[in-house]
Amino acid sequence: MSSNPAPDRTPTQVDRSLVKRALRSFELNAWLAVTTATYLAALFLVRHHPEWRPGWKITWALTPILPGLFYLRNGLHLLRGLDELERRIQFEGWLFAALGTVIFSAVLNVFNLHGQGGNWLPHGLGVGETYLTMFIFWCVGVTIANRRYR
Amino acid sequence: MKNRLREMRTARQWSQGELADRLGVSRQTIHAIETEKYDPSLPLAFKIGRLFEKPLEWIFVPDA
Repeated sequence: MSSNPAPDRTPTQVDRSLVKRALRSFELNAWLAVTTATYLAALFLVRHHPEWRPGWKITWALTPILPGLFYLRNGLHLLRGLDELERRIQFEGWLFAALGTVIFSAVLNVFNLHGQGGNWLPHGLGVGETYLTMFIFWCVGVTIANRRYR
Repeated sequence: MKNRLREMRTARQWSQGELADRLGVSRQTIHAIETEKYDPSLPLAFKIGRLFEKPLEWIFVPDA
């Protein structure tokens, strides 16, 4: 086997980079779990305490934003660690998700406007449904992009 | 754009994963470049040129 004349990264550097990336991925998922748990807890508390003052309710309702910001920060770090093709795939996935959600929402509104939407989402997409729709479209978009470069 | 990446890699008996590690990219990126589904950025192209000690215009050939 021929030797590498000028390796850009030594095997140790590669191993360290892989470990760092795995840790970042774990941290990202951990923050997502914390955000979800905080959101559910806040939802439960606000719903089960109608006697609370509005200011107190708003404070609790906005609590998930804090772990959400950490999730966002870790997501950005992870994105910076991706190589150029992986970043492009993510970009295509997000573009697909954004456009897909806009089109889906517009179609749903047209159906609702003409009374053909039935009982299914009569007021269009809410915040939760928008996230879910975006997530589904993102999965499809990333799968399509991955297949293109496979 | 056509390229000689596969030819250069196999000449050194490196796997796609090995080359990917040396360049700091994913194996998928190497595969996509070799199959000409993806053109690398200029910094990555220079990294490839430096690693194989070849000029870029020899590695990458524009489509006619």
